[in-house]
Amino acid sequence: MKSLDIRGRLILAALLPVTLIAVMLAGVFLMVRFVDVDEAQHQRSRSLARQLANASEYGLFAGNVAYLQTIASGALREPDVSSVVILNAEGRILARAGQPSYTTPWSLTRLETERFDAAKRTNLLSQPIMANQVRLDDLFEPLQTTGDTQAPLLGNVLVEFSNEARRKREREILLTGILITLGGLLFGGFVAMQLGRGVLQPILRVSSLIERIGQGEFSARATVLPDDPLRDLQNGLNLMAQRLESGREELEQRVATATFALREKKEEAETATLAKSRFLAAASHDLRQPTHALGLFVARLAQLPHDAQTRHLIESLDASVQAMQDLLDGLLDVSRLDAQAVQVQLRPFALTDIFEQLRSGLALTAQDKGIRLRFRPTSVWLMSDPTLIHRILLNLVANALKYTVQGSVLVACRVGEDAQHVRIEVRDSGIGVAPEHQQSIFKEFYQVGNSERNRSKGLGLGLNIVDRTVQLLGYRLQFFSRLGVGTRFSLQVPLVTPGADVDQGNPFRPLAEENINGLVVLAVEDDPLASEGLVSLLESWGCLVGVSDGLHAARRLLDNGLQPSVIVSDYRLRDGENGIETIRQLCAHAGWSIPACLMSGDTDPALMLAAKRAGHTLLHKPVRPAKLRNLLRRLALDSQATGVRLV
Amino acid sequence: MSLFLRSLLLSFCLICFAVEVSSAHAATVVIVSSERSPAYVSAAEAVISELERNGVSRYDVLQLTADEWSTAGPLAPKLFVALGSAAASALAKSVTAAPVLCTLLPRSSYERILQASGRKSSSQFSALYLDQPLSRQLELIRLALPEVHRIGVLWGPESQSQASALKTLAHARGLELVEASVGPDALLFPGLKGVLDSAEVLLAMADPQVYNSGSIQNILLASFRAKVPMVAFSPAYVRAGALLALHVTPTQLGQQAGAIGWGVLQNKAMSASPLYSRDFSVAVNEYVARSLGLTLDGAALRERLLRREGSP
Repeated sequence: MKSLDIRGRLILAALLPVTLIAVMLAGVFLMVRFVDVDEAQHQRSRSLARQLANASEYGLFAGNVAYLQTIASGALREPDVSSVVILNAEGRILARAGQPSYTTPWSLTRLETERFDAAKRTNLLSQPIMANQVRLDDLFEPLQTTGDTQAPLLGNVLVEFSNEARRKREREILLTGILITLGGLLFGGFVAMQLGRGVLQPILRVSSLIERIGQGEFSARATVLPDDPLRDLQNGLNLMAQRLESGREELEQRVATATFALREKKEEAETATLAKSRFLAAASHDLRQPTHALGLFVARLAQLPHDAQTRHLIESLDASVQAMQDLLDGLLDVSRLDAQAVQVQLRPFALTDIFEQLRSGLALTAQDKGIRLRFRPTSVWLMSDPTLIHRILLNLVANALKYTVQGSVLVACRVGEDAQHVRIEVRDSGIGVAPEHQQSIFKEFYQVGNSERNRSKGLGLGLNIVDRTVQLLGYRLQFFSRLGVGTRFSLQVPLVTPGADVDQGNPFRPLAEENINGLVVLAVEDDPLASEGLVSLLESWGCLVGVSDGLHAARRLLDNGLQPSVIVSDYRLRDGENGIETIRQLCAHAGWSIPACLMSGDTDPALMLAAKRAGHTLLHKPVRPAKLRNLLRRLALDSQATGVRLV
Repeated sequence: MSLFLRSLLLSFCLICFAVEVSSAHAATVVIVSSERSPAYVSAAEAVISELERNGVSRYDVLQLTADEWSTAGPLAPKLFVALGSAAASALAKSVTAAPVLCTLLPRSSYERILQASGRKSSSQFSALYLDQPLSRQLELIRLALPEVHRIGVLWGPESQSQASALKTLAHARGLELVEASVGPDALLFPGLKGVLDSAEVLLAMADPQVYNSGSIQNILLASFRAKVPMVAFSPAYVRAGALLALHVTPTQLGQQAGAIGWGVLQNKAMSASPLYSRDFSVAVNEYVARSLGLTLDGAALRERLLRREGSP
């Protein structure tokens, strides 16, 4: 049964007693009335019969049949009398009125008798007719003294009553009783509802108040009326709401305080991180310049003829510089990812190109370590950012080579079951990663088994870069490793139908070995060492170099008749000058758009954006000589396309 | 109650009874009453008063009921006074040395008792009747209702014997009798109707077969409807609706019986033939009289009747 709500229960509680009492009273009333009516009818019948008997006495005594007939007919006028029969002492019918329903002859009786006929719904009363006894107290009547002489029986009167009238009366009483009951119920219900409302309203008010408080409206207060039956409860609720409100305010204040403290801490931490980043940026910038110069010098040095011992030294020097440059590149990548400066540029490309790049870049390292580096040939095309994929795979393969002592490193790709993705795997037979380290290997500067922080093993940035780049692309990188057995990284990349787009400007497209011999280059570099290294390297490649330390000097060179095919400018120049502005002014000065590239030790994302907007390639220091050479070659081709002649 | 106590109480009662009986031996007059109803008590009291007036001590008179009499021991009074039919019957059945005066009983009862006991009325066993002589009744009718000439009488088995006497007396006075007889089990009304149709007054004769507490109402009703007044023999009938009743009161009878008893004590023999009372009363139902347009005074009627009989 569905439970009643409070209103229903209250109404039930109010109505139930009223109903019970009304029904009970009606029952008692009706019962009493029925009994009364029955009794009255009974008495009336008997008194009528006795009256008839009395009235008939003289008629019987006198044998006056006409008189008796008058009496009988008179009695029949009563509404419920259906027949009257008067018998004499011999049982002979002297008078009859109405049609008796009984047929059997009646035996005389000295006693009042009553016979109820349920089938005919009649009541037959027989009343003896006796001579009226007059007390004589007479000395002349000796019989009287001898005992109780019975009065002579003169006859009987039989009166038949119909019960229809009584039934009708009973029906009327029943109807009246029901009407009174209903009236009582209605009235009682009305009164009960009125009284119940006095209790219900406060309860509903309290209930709605509790609901409001429950919904968090602690400012809700009950209006306490002086005659309210739930006054104490409402006062208590008001007090409770007040306490809750003040408690919440206190809590909010505490939370605000705590939040403020936390924000302060966070700001502190952010400030610290910013400071760290600035420090890293500054440190790396300051490191970049000398390293840049050092790389240029070593490249230049390697071009000179040396004896075997010196060449070995130079090779070692070159390797060290390479390692340092790698580290700085890693830091650069991290800072770019930190700065969210890396833009994903999706386009279709052939994976085999990337494999080829990786092979050419890392084959030597593998060979040096005696590790077999294999790329399984593939013809799949991917829809992704080739630069980022290259960087991911480069780091993974470099990592695999780094941690593999012997055996092989395999790079392969496999088309997935859905034919929508390809899984690129990098497997090695290296030392593996212990389970306890597997969660940590993607953290910055985390290195397994390099507690002495041998820098030849890198800074521990590779996997962090991989992880963040994969996240940037929205791909999934899976990692399986068993200690002492090997490690497998697998990356899912979306597929595309081969040859969907013509590969243009692929930075990894191997350029034709074209000569940049004779290319006129205007170098703008304020750092003397870097300037010297750059100039000597460019000159060793056969370029004609005009060098300046700023806009002013460069302009003078142009004024002196220098017509550069390419401008190579440092970004940050002396006296607040910057490379982009310098290039713009030089072009304006020269009167035509000279192809240019920027070099910078800064890793500021704003700079990268500005360079991109200005349409210049930005090379980060330390610049790899090979990279610079490639760029110059391309710029030279652009220059040729725009009609600049090589001197 | 213990057996001892019971026996003690019984012995006490026996002693008391013996004392009573022994005192009875000394009684001069024994009054035996049929019962102790007021009529008998007042009659007995009148007897005793009359004797006392003549010098007989109250303590020389013993009062018994008929039942006590039957269980009492031998008594030797000078006179027995039997009050009522039962007492008379009881005395008639026993052998007594002293004379017995039966009173407070109608003539018909006395005659029945004589018949039953085989006695004859004598100076030893005589009676003073309760009912009134027929002549006196006729005289009263003549006094009270002078225009009446036809007197209706309804005879029953017990009263039938007086029919001829009444006829003679009536004729002597120039009155006509309208008679009817009612058999022992016959219906009353046909006879009554016949009488009432032609009579001017209904003279009721004491006969329980005809006039009894069951019939009196309807008889009175019939006579009233026929506008025939009833002259009865008892004040009870007057109360029930009769116009007049000629009767003797128990006191009147007791006084006369006491006088007779005093005579017996003076060795005067009782009249061998039964006597009618000297004194009498006339009862009138004034309502009935008024409804008939009559003005009757019972006391005056008695005086006139007494004067006419020549008695003081």
